[in-house]
Amino acid sequence: MTIDVSLNGERLSVEPTTLQALLLARGYKLESAFACAINSTFVPRPQWPERALINDDKIDIVTPITGG
Amino acid sequence: MTPFTVAGTSLSSRLFLGTSHYPSPQILSDAVTASGTQVLTVGLRRLQPESGGGNAFWQRIQAMKTHILPNTAGCHTAIEAITLAQMAREIFGTTWIKLEVIGDDYTLQPDTHATLDAATTLAKEGFAVFAYTTDDLVIAQKLRDAGCAAIMPWAAPIGTGRGPLNPFALETLRRRLPDAVLIVDAGLGRPSHAAAVMELGFDAVLLNTAVAQAGDPVRMAKAFADSVSAGHAAYESTPMPERAAAQASTPTVGVPFWHAP
Repeated sequence: MTIDVSLNGERLSVEPTTLQALLLARGYKLESAFACAINSTFVPRPQWPERALINDDKIDIVTPITGG
Repeated sequence: MTPFTVAGTSLSSRLFLGTSHYPSPQILSDAVTASGTQVLTVGLRRLQPESGGGNAFWQRIQAMKTHILPNTAGCHTAIEAITLAQMAREIFGTTWIKLEVIGDDYTLQPDTHATLDAATTLAKEGFAVFAYTTDDLVIAQKLRDAGCAAIMPWAAPIGTGRGPLNPFALETLRRRLPDAVLIVDAGLGRPSHAAAVMELGFDAVLLNTAVAQAGDPVRMAKAFADSVSAGHAAYESTPMPERAAAQASTPTVGVPFWHAP
């Protein structure tokens, strides 16, 4: 059984997993400068390994860019 | 230049600089050096894993050894802005946040009600909120009362370079909020614009496009630094009052060629 999640706007069907496991599976390097939110709620980095994803979670991952 | 304090930090430069739209990373770096700025603004956007993250940009900015002011550009609700501020705090390791909540996509006019809601929450969470707003006095007073570290009215819409469209409103903000840190945030296009708002008593200016999109961004960065310094010195020196009628500079006593009839 899979769950449907949205990762930075991309719809994915994945086996039930944690946020950190999904990040690794998708090729994110944990040492990089980025932060995560699920359903518009910030998820602090220490919670990534424990945060279980559930169906219809909407995940946003952001990184530094130029800005005014 | 006389230092000023914002969010508990003393700054000797009164010019904040954005990091977007420069022709190259090297020109950005050179412009930062030429400007003497101590505060750089940065943004956050979605990361795709194949891009390698924003590490290269972030490392380049860190090497400039300035204070970092992350923004919430692109947010349209208080919830979005609060969440992005929390994400910025984790990434950049700072409680400083340039709060932007846009209400109109054409003018990029801030949604001042949502800005106030977000500012209230973020200030309670310990953020030093630099709130981008319009020149509306009442909203500025409420942002001050909410605990914002700085109130940042626009001079004109972001990126227009039109300069202060309503100097009277800006002057009123300074007069009615004498103890607040006031920074003009948007719409400045020329050094004379920066000097004009500094002469009104603003504590600092924040600009990006006016430097980044200049023909020579590095020289323009220095020109803005000079104008900010000149404007602030003029404010501290108390400009003369305007008069309705002309008044000769040269003494009128002893004017030659005048004889009693």
